[in-house]
Amino acid sequence: MLDFRPVLQIVGWLLVGLAAAMLIPAAVDLAAGSPEWAVFALSAGLTLFVGLALEAGMRSGWRRLSVRQTYLATALCWVVPCAFAALPFAFGKPQLAVTDALFEAICGLTTTNASVLAGLDHLPPGLLLWRGLLQWLGGAGTLAMAVAVLPALRVGGMQMFRIEMLMGGDKAAPRATRLATTLGSIYAGLTLAVGLLLWLAGMPGFDALVHAMATVSTGGFSTWDSSIGHFDNVRIDLVVTLGMVASGMPFLVFAQAAQGNVRALWRDAQLRWYFAILAAATVAMTLWLIFGLHYEFRTALRHGAFTVASAMTGTGFSTIDYSYWNGLPTALLLFTALLGGCAGSTTGGIKIFRLQLLLAGAMVQMRRLLRPHAVVIARFNRRQIPKEALEAVMGFVFVYALAFAALAMGLGLLGLDFVTSVSGAVGALTNFGPGLGPVIGPAGSFAVLSDPAKWLLGAGMLFGRLEMFPLLVLFIPGFWKQ
Amino acid sequence: MKDPSSLSLCRDDSWGGVADDVGANWADRDRPNSCVGFPLDSPREPSHDSPAKWGVSALLDVRPVLFINGFVLLILAVAMGVPAVVDAATDGADWPVFTAAAAAAAFLGGALMFGAKPTARFRLDIRQSLLVTVTSWLLVALAAAPPFAFSTLGLSATDSVFEAMSGLTTTGATVIVGLDHAPSGILLWRALLNWLGGAGFIVMAAAILPVLRIGGMQIFRMEAGDKADRVRPRVSQLAVAVTAVYAGLTALSAVAFWLAGMDDFDAVCHAMAALSTGGFSTSDASLAHWGSAVQWVAVASMVVAAAPLPLLVAPWRRGHPPLSEDSQLQAYLTLLVSAAAVLGVWRWATSDWELADSLRAAAFTVTSTATTTGFVAADIGPWGGFAHVVLFILAFTGGCSGSAAGGVKIFRWQVLTQLAEVHIKRLLHPHGVFVIDFNRRILPEPVVDAVLAFVVLYMVTFAVHALALTAAGCDLVTALSGSAAALGNVGRGLGGIIGSTGSWKPLSDAAKWIATFEMLVGRLELFTVFVLFTPSYWRE
Repeated sequence: MLDFRPVLQIVGWLLVGLAAAMLIPAAVDLAAGSPEWAVFALSAGLTLFVGLALEAGMRSGWRRLSVRQTYLATALCWVVPCAFAALPFAFGKPQLAVTDALFEAICGLTTTNASVLAGLDHLPPGLLLWRGLLQWLGGAGTLAMAVAVLPALRVGGMQMFRIEMLMGGDKAAPRATRLATTLGSIYAGLTLAVGLLLWLAGMPGFDALVHAMATVSTGGFSTWDSSIGHFDNVRIDLVVTLGMVASGMPFLVFAQAAQGNVRALWRDAQLRWYFAILAAATVAMTLWLIFGLHYEFRTALRHGAFTVASAMTGTGFSTIDYSYWNGLPTALLLFTALLGGCAGSTTGGIKIFRLQLLLAGAMVQMRRLLRPHAVVIARFNRRQIPKEALEAVMGFVFVYALAFAALAMGLGLLGLDFVTSVSGAVGALTNFGPGLGPVIGPAGSFAVLSDPAKWLLGAGMLFGRLEMFPLLVLFIPGFWKQ
Repeated sequence: MKDPSSLSLCRDDSWGGVADDVGANWADRDRPNSCVGFPLDSPREPSHDSPAKWGVSALLDVRPVLFINGFVLLILAVAMGVPAVVDAATDGADWPVFTAAAAAAAFLGGALMFGAKPTARFRLDIRQSLLVTVTSWLLVALAAAPPFAFSTLGLSATDSVFEAMSGLTTTGATVIVGLDHAPSGILLWRALLNWLGGAGFIVMAAAILPVLRIGGMQIFRMEAGDKADRVRPRVSQLAVAVTAVYAGLTALSAVAFWLAGMDDFDAVCHAMAALSTGGFSTSDASLAHWGSAVQWVAVASMVVAAAPLPLLVAPWRRGHPPLSEDSQLQAYLTLLVSAAAVLGVWRWATSDWELADSLRAAAFTVTSTATTTGFVAADIGPWGGFAHVVLFILAFTGGCSGSAAGGVKIFRWQVLTQLAEVHIKRLLHPHGVFVIDFNRRILPEPVVDAVLAFVVLYMVTFAVHALALTAAGCDLVTALSGSAAALGNVGRGLGGIIGSTGSWKPLSDAAKWIATFEMLVGRLELFTVFVLFTPSYWRE
């Protein structure tokens, strides 16, 4: 029988943390003289109560979590906080319905920019900060999961990024606490740097903070309805673009670079592809903007680079409205969003290393066609790809494709058209957010969707954020047996 | 019967790559049975040539390649005679064009055959086999194009090559508008191209791809029955038998079409287009031009066409599970029936159509897409997003291997599904041992690897070409569905341009060339073409 107590205890700790985070917007609202602070205080109280109850009630002595407990904890640690994070949206000024409030919270925590809120410009600052904070916390959770949990669980080929392998087999693996400190400081430092630069570039302090959190977590929630386009400032666009690109890089590389191992930046195969694809897509997008929409070169480059970076890292910021674009740029957005950034970052999508692994495997097959008896080894980052990793990646991509198909079909079944269904499914699974077309494009809103569509998309975001399997195994009968 | 030596040879279809039938490498060179024989002969007959003659040499010996290409061109020239005769008999104006094109193809073919005539019997090594496969499809498509350009239709060079490639790869994407008034010679030629292409692919899938081990096709070498513990039937016999089944089914389908109310010419043309999963029609409206009886015949023909034909060959079924137990066939029929039912109900519920009409149209459209045929019985434009998404996904499933259908093919999806299951099981039981099986046989790792690589390459090819199509000026829906339709040899996309009521005519020339290349790549199962672009193919 699966012992739930340690799992629920962890969830309790997390809720206590969430309650503490709720106090920040409460304080901000109080300072700004907005009556909304009471909402946050109430939500915090409720969350704290449940959290403490779980923590105290489920104490069972500290033991290592079993594999199944780890899966359950991973899944619950995402799902349960979503419910509590939704409280301020339901109780506060927007007065969202249950579905909408949950949807907004899921979007926030999974760092997807698919908001049902309209009229951001008139919302109290506490709520805007809460949205940014949710994304920032979600980004931190993503990072922790991508570095510590998924590689250990060997989900979808993530075993390629086990710490032992990354740091080289000879060194002893760094202790978990040290790793957490390193990552946490990189994450916080990057956020501070982006916030500071945004402020220097001319953004008001509050907006700079929220946007920095939404950038580094690749979340994409803005404080304005027209997103970054509201500021129409070249320097801000540049800072956000660079921030997004940096957030799509594996965060441990920053640690290595900070230790003076700058060459690690260049030696990482995943990073090289990341930059190459970003550059190629930016060039294509820029050319299209110049020749298709007759932009000036500099304007085209500015918006092209921004849009590509936003799609590839799954952030979802926008400077221009591409709802009515068609052809090349829309296909570029769709495919770059699907591909996603590097593993070990806060981005969503399939991740570049998986494409590399699969292509390496395909190339080996090609060579084997010519020389059936030759021993050809697929390599990634100068290391042999274990057979199991390759199959795990393929299993992941296949499940991803199935999830996409199911989601797109479900959205179609609910009456959405082809482009909206397909792009909505991609946007949700990759945690990018906006789709294509007038309904859920950057100028549209998810508010007009039906409730079942929102539930579907919300589920898609969670599945995408959790890299499918930690959530999927819970639905396998074999998980509960035994 | 238990001759140890013959048994050991039978055993080498342990598709694990321990021993293989095409061997160009050093280890294999004194094993004459390890080659694709031509003319198709017993693989176990010892060769009289010295190893050096059949080329493990440093240079690629292209003479056998040219010789076979010449032979294929001669067949094409003979085939061109058929529309020439029909056109002359129906007082068409195009018979001189066909005659001239046939003469040109025959001349070129004869020249190649005599010019590159091998001095002794020869065998092809792997690299030659790959080269023959690609060049012969390419050459035939080019040689089949002139009738389109010089006939009364007067297509441009791009359009002609597109139409010929689309026909030969059994894609069925057409650039011709006004088929209802087109001369019968041209109509017959299109259907004939479909049919020949289908036959070519079936032979290739039965004889060449398993030996080359393209995309996991080596599992179908075992279909030739090592379980029966007897001498393996020769590849050539299998190919001949499957072609005979194919021809017989075509005749049957033509009769059925005729009984359902088509006139005899249309019946023959549609039977050829249906059994090859090609999808060229003799009317702009495709099958919507005819009544429901004809459409049901078309559905049945398409379903049979994309079923694994080798299973229908009696001698090879001995020692095999009966047809009903073939897991690929089961999955294929389940997919068709469930998708058709869901889509039929969806159409019925969201429109004012009768249930019978909805189900027929849905069954037709689902079958046409999944079998990669591309016939049309109803305009699916107004069917809504759900139908479009389902059809878009079905374009990737494809038919069964061993048929003329394109796409990824059902058995590969079965392997992938199991791969995903194994991954999930392994997550929960990290030290468990899990195997993947197909038709109750455990699949060896090389097969799984090959399937995996195929699907990866398929998806990447799809994405790259979709991007290229948008760069060539297509809108998003046209590019996505067009890329899937060309790569899977389906022929019909979504949207207003290449959708059920449209044609590929309005696309730019660049887009047509991209689609032409993609059709060829899809038909030849990707690896055959892509391997020619790797440096290691030309090195050595």
